[in-house]
Amino acid sequence: MATKYTIQELIVSRAAKELKDREFVVIGQGIAMAAGVLARKTHAPNAVILTEAGLLGIDPFKVPLHIADPTCTRGFTYSCDMIDIFTTILNQGYVDVTFLGVGQIDRYGNMNSSYLGEPGNYATRMTGAGGAPEFIGYAGRAILTMSGGTFVEKLDYFTSPGYLDGGESRYAAGMPEGSGPSVLITTRGVFMFDKVTKEMYLAGLHPGVTVDDIRAEVPWDLKIADRLETTPAPTEEEIAILRNFAPDVTMGRKLQLEVVMKQVFNLLSKGA
Amino acid sequence: MEKYMDADKRMTAAEAVGRFVNNGESFVFANCLYSMPLALTHELIRQRKKNLMAFQQGGIEEIDQLILSRVIDRVVMAYNFRAGGPRIVTPLDRAIKEGQVVVEEMTNHTLLSMMKAGAMGYPFLPVLPGIKVTDVVQQKGFLGDQRFAGIKDPFTGRDMLVVKGYNPDFALMHVQRADKAGNGQLWGAMINSKWAALAAKKVILSCEEIVDTDVIMSSPHLTIVPSHKVCAVVHCPWGAHPSEVLGHYDYDFPFRALFFGFCANPDAATMWFDEWVHGVADRQEYIEKYVRKFGRDTLEAFRARPFKSVPADYGSTFSLEWDERGYSKSMGMNMEEFVAMLDGKGALIDGN
Repeated sequence: MATKYTIQELIVSRAAKELKDREFVVIGQGIAMAAGVLARKTHAPNAVILTEAGLLGIDPFKVPLHIADPTCTRGFTYSCDMIDIFTTILNQGYVDVTFLGVGQIDRYGNMNSSYLGEPGNYATRMTGAGGAPEFIGYAGRAILTMSGGTFVEKLDYFTSPGYLDGGESRYAAGMPEGSGPSVLITTRGVFMFDKVTKEMYLAGLHPGVTVDDIRAEVPWDLKIADRLETTPAPTEEEIAILRNFAPDVTMGRKLQLEVVMKQVFNLLSKGA
Repeated sequence: MEKYMDADKRMTAAEAVGRFVNNGESFVFANCLYSMPLALTHELIRQRKKNLMAFQQGGIEEIDQLILSRVIDRVVMAYNFRAGGPRIVTPLDRAIKEGQVVVEEMTNHTLLSMMKAGAMGYPFLPVLPGIKVTDVVQQKGFLGDQRFAGIKDPFTGRDMLVVKGYNPDFALMHVQRADKAGNGQLWGAMINSKWAALAAKKVILSCEEIVDTDVIMSSPHLTIVPSHKVCAVVHCPWGAHPSEVLGHYDYDFPFRALFFGFCANPDAATMWFDEWVHGVADRQEYIEKYVRKFGRDTLEAFRARPFKSVPADYGSTFSLEWDERGYSKSMGMNMEEFVAMLDGKGALIDGN
């Protein structure tokens, strides 16, 4: 019997397959970093991981807490600053791939990571733009993952440019030809973007998920590929790598919160 | 810009903030996520500073702490960590809703470019123009038009996006080591530190370790801020706790989570500040309290193990132009022959 896996392990394993050997990949924390490291430990050993904090060529032995966490690696090959990353590295076309997590996304892959609620009277400030707008704007392509985010007809706030209004509009606005989101992997399936219209379509389903499950989450009339791939289950090797390297990612945010809260109670009981 | 030339600027955090911070001023965190100047931040809170404006590249707890203690009322920010999902109301959410704080949204690249322009003494700098279609550029906050502008590239005629340069009144910064004069050395994640520190009119610097100037002289590549920018040097071990500093300590995740647990409601947050900020005189007492409460082992578990950089060799022959016998190898003569040569060529002036 195959090893059981978590939904996060499925997403990470699928996302990792998108990264090729010898590519430069900009990554933050969490699922994206786990995917980058998994790729390096399997089919892409010469991929170069960099973060916008100016850490290039890191070899993480644990998932960094954040983009500027140098405690995740024993050294790295190039220590520069954030301006260097966005100009001498990104603007010069060295970044092949960026991994990004999604808060809200529309049919053309435009994204919101800033505010939720009514414009002018927002209820929630999410993390804010960070480096996402420039990375999705100027990296060769963007691999998107979403767990906990939503599909919307119209973004509450437009943080990061996908394909704008579709067609050639992204490139007419000055972003590099051929760049843009290439794939979105959610907790239920895999989505891609039409080569001409740039509209998102359903390309694959995770095991046990139906097209109706997906339609229930998408507020527009979603186009469906003629042939849908079924996401392959993560292999034993991949699962072993992930549980060793990134148990936090494996268990997902909700369980992680429970584990952290337990640690906090342990801390407080020491003080009692 | 004022030059700070005192040879010994060591003082306490209380003295530094008391002398160099005025209500209503703007400041920048010259660290981002890594090595956060949290001891200095707590001193702003302890002295109940008011109406400050923060430039914040990216952070975890400091903005929520300054909002809950009503130190800041304006923030220019690119990224702020969010504890929990969208259903949780954070101190920042609440403060925006109630109008206690106004926020100007930027991206990492454009916010730091504002600092870099300011640091270089330029009125503006070009940035990657792709974001001009987004709400980050289109929606204006309290800085209004004093952020982004479109200009033409004078050489190609193409449209460009630029950001305005800013010079905050002061920067708060934490580094591994500094000398008494304030030559500050940082390694690990360089992120925004250089440009934020150089943009500010003055830097209040805290450090894990004070070292002799000889140490600085043998490793100048590590100096991130030169002493003439620094108005105060605060020796402050554990000064970035619960964030991490390479060579000293890792981040303290449970202690961080403890703060976020407390700040779920404002009354509980008051208890946290009474205990960890107002209830201690300085960072040393904070650490002593931590050790009393949670045990020394809990703290020591975060202590870094060494992973030494290979030292750069700044050596040369250190030979003088004139050797010990008064002979110059490069000119092939001794001092007597040198003076005779000058005289013979008519290069010497008789001033009598």
